[in-house]
Amino acid sequence: MEKNADWQWEISAHRAWFRFNLRELFQYKDLIFRFVRRDIIASYQQTILGPVWVFLQPLFTTFVYFIIFSRVAKIPTDGIPALLFYLPGIIIWSYYADCITTTMNTFQYNAYIFNKVYFPRLIVPLSSILFHSFRISIQLLLFLGVCLVYTLKGTTIHLSWQILLAPCMILITACFALGCGLIVSVLTAKYRDLDNIMQFLLRLFMFAAPVVYPASLIPKKYEFIFWLNPLTPVIEIFRSSFFKPHPLPLSYLMLCILTTFIILITGVILFNKREIQIMDVI
Amino acid sequence: MAKKLIEAAHISKYYRLGVLGSHTIKEDLKDWWAGKLHKQPAQETESREYIWALRDISFDVYQGEVLGLIGKNGAGKSTLLKIISRITLPTSGRISGNGRIASLLEVGTGFHSELTGRENIYLNGHIMGMKKKEIDRKFEEIIEFSGVSRFLDTPVKRYSSGMYVRLAFAVAAHLDPEILVIDEVLAVGDAEFQQKCLNKIKSISKEEGKTILFVSHNIQTIRNVCNRAIVLDKGSIIASGDSESVLASYGKMTRDQFLGVDYSNQTEQPGNENIRIKRLELIPEYQNQFQVIDVRTPLRILFEFFYQVEEAGELMVVLQVFNNAGEMIFEVASRNYSFKKGIVKGESAIPGNFLNDGLYYISITFVRNSIIRLFYLESCLSFDVEDYKDSGSWSGKWAGVVRPSFPVNLSQ
Repeated sequence: MEKNADWQWEISAHRAWFRFNLRELFQYKDLIFRFVRRDIIASYQQTILGPVWVFLQPLFTTFVYFIIFSRVAKIPTDGIPALLFYLPGIIIWSYYADCITTTMNTFQYNAYIFNKVYFPRLIVPLSSILFHSFRISIQLLLFLGVCLVYTLKGTTIHLSWQILLAPCMILITACFALGCGLIVSVLTAKYRDLDNIMQFLLRLFMFAAPVVYPASLIPKKYEFIFWLNPLTPVIEIFRSSFFKPHPLPLSYLMLCILTTFIILITGVILFNKREIQIMDVI
Repeated sequence: MAKKLIEAAHISKYYRLGVLGSHTIKEDLKDWWAGKLHKQPAQETESREYIWALRDISFDVYQGEVLGLIGKNGAGKSTLLKIISRITLPTSGRISGNGRIASLLEVGTGFHSELTGRENIYLNGHIMGMKKKEIDRKFEEIIEFSGVSRFLDTPVKRYSSGMYVRLAFAVAAHLDPEILVIDEVLAVGDAEFQQKCLNKIKSISKEEGKTILFVSHNIQTIRNVCNRAIVLDKGSIIASGDSESVLASYGKMTRDQFLGVDYSNQTEQPGNENIRIKRLELIPEYQNQFQVIDVRTPLRILFEFFYQVEEAGELMVVLQVFNNAGEMIFEVASRNYSFKKGIVKGESAIPGNFLNDGLYYISITFVRNSIIRLFYLESCLSFDVEDYKDSGSWSGKWAGVVRPSFPVNLSQ
């Protein structure tokens, strides 16, 4: 028999750790965009307000936080009008939370497809992150609108050049969420308990990022740990580019990019290694 | 000789049995550690149970052939399909191949009920690995094949199940891989549409020279569609070769499987102090060359038992037939007899053209004086009724529990 003939593909029990096939992923790009399109169409079917919900969700949350954290708990907002302070933090945070939640449930939610047909599984989390990116883009437009209203009413807004970094900040958030989500997805598929723990942890994690309070509130000795969280520089830089021209916390930004990169790579490698074995335990 | 497209070598697959979620982190670590130490898979651990879904399967697939995989439920057909489709990994072994594979384990995978037919054609097509240009090019053809052009912009949740299947199959039929893997579950929808599907499959192989792997548990279908077949049983290949000869051995295998126990060893005889069963047998009067029970086959049931009751009284025997879902199809009873202690022989029959295709179980009950249950033996015989189609065409599953051939006459 022909040994080692030129086979185009091979299936075996062994799966390499570094088998990241970018070309294959690219071949399926149509599928990625089709999934995004599906999510966009499906999420507002049979709702009266339709796409308006994209705006309403962060607005409602902002309003609630405004009452609880600003009015009742009286947490300072760095001299920024409270509503304007909360809104960007909430938008970025919910983007992160949505991305990580859909990514970590990749196997549970898509088992019915994964059980019937093969395609690179990474497509599913990638497409849901694109879907949420579409949403956050619209939400950021809303934020600009709200800023405009405040300016017309006389609030001074100092736009700095750092606003140009906003897309990078979104990208970092997405990569961080994807990395964490992929790691968790592999673990939760086997140990369901993690699912419950994660929901709880995610809620706690919000308070570890400067969503409802400014970073300036953190005591000096905890500062390093606080800034180790990639979401801290992301939210702080985004916020300060609108209101309080800070010098760019460059070293923290570098650290944040490094952390994100490591987590993302770990997630992708783990996911690629396990994506098929997992189907036996789902 | 045709070009070899797939080479499968020594494929095995085991599954871990037991309650889902019963494996803890601790056990997994232990397994992993055991694997490290002994350089062998940890499944050798004795304390837990594994099931080998496939054991040492090797076969080749050549260009342009239609290879059938046949076997009973649980024979490992689906597992093998899933491995070839890259949905699950083998535990050991290797499959190598050339050419793009498309698997149809289901039609309409990923259909979203809120989306329109048009959107779903693209969604499903992409999931199956088609590119946008490819779908654009075949779009008209797909719509025409499906026959739902009027409802193209209606969400598929408003479709009837028939329309849904048509649309789904239409997309699948226009895939353009070198190798097509098809599960029998595609045999859904009305007869006319199934004929259309079957013709499509045939033309894909004959005219377009595509290679097809076809899985079924139905002899007739395999015989109609495939030129070569592999018979799987309990995870191993028990026969392979050209369809006709392989199917004959499949028939023999199923015949050996059921039917009939001769309890010559007295200690093994089921029973109690009243009844002791000596022999139970189901004898089919085969109607086809494969020696397979199909819907036409009449069955005789023979049984023999020791009647061990001393006191005078009346004995009645009841036979009950259950289907695979556990529903009782019917029961038949003898009249009451006054027998002396000793051997009793009994006989009953199930006529041909009566039961529908499926798996059936027979239970036997011995009743004294019409009221006291002396002994009851559950599922003591089982048999599998195969489908049969006159025209040799593939026109799907007949509905209903029974399938009598009562005449339906028309006149004008």
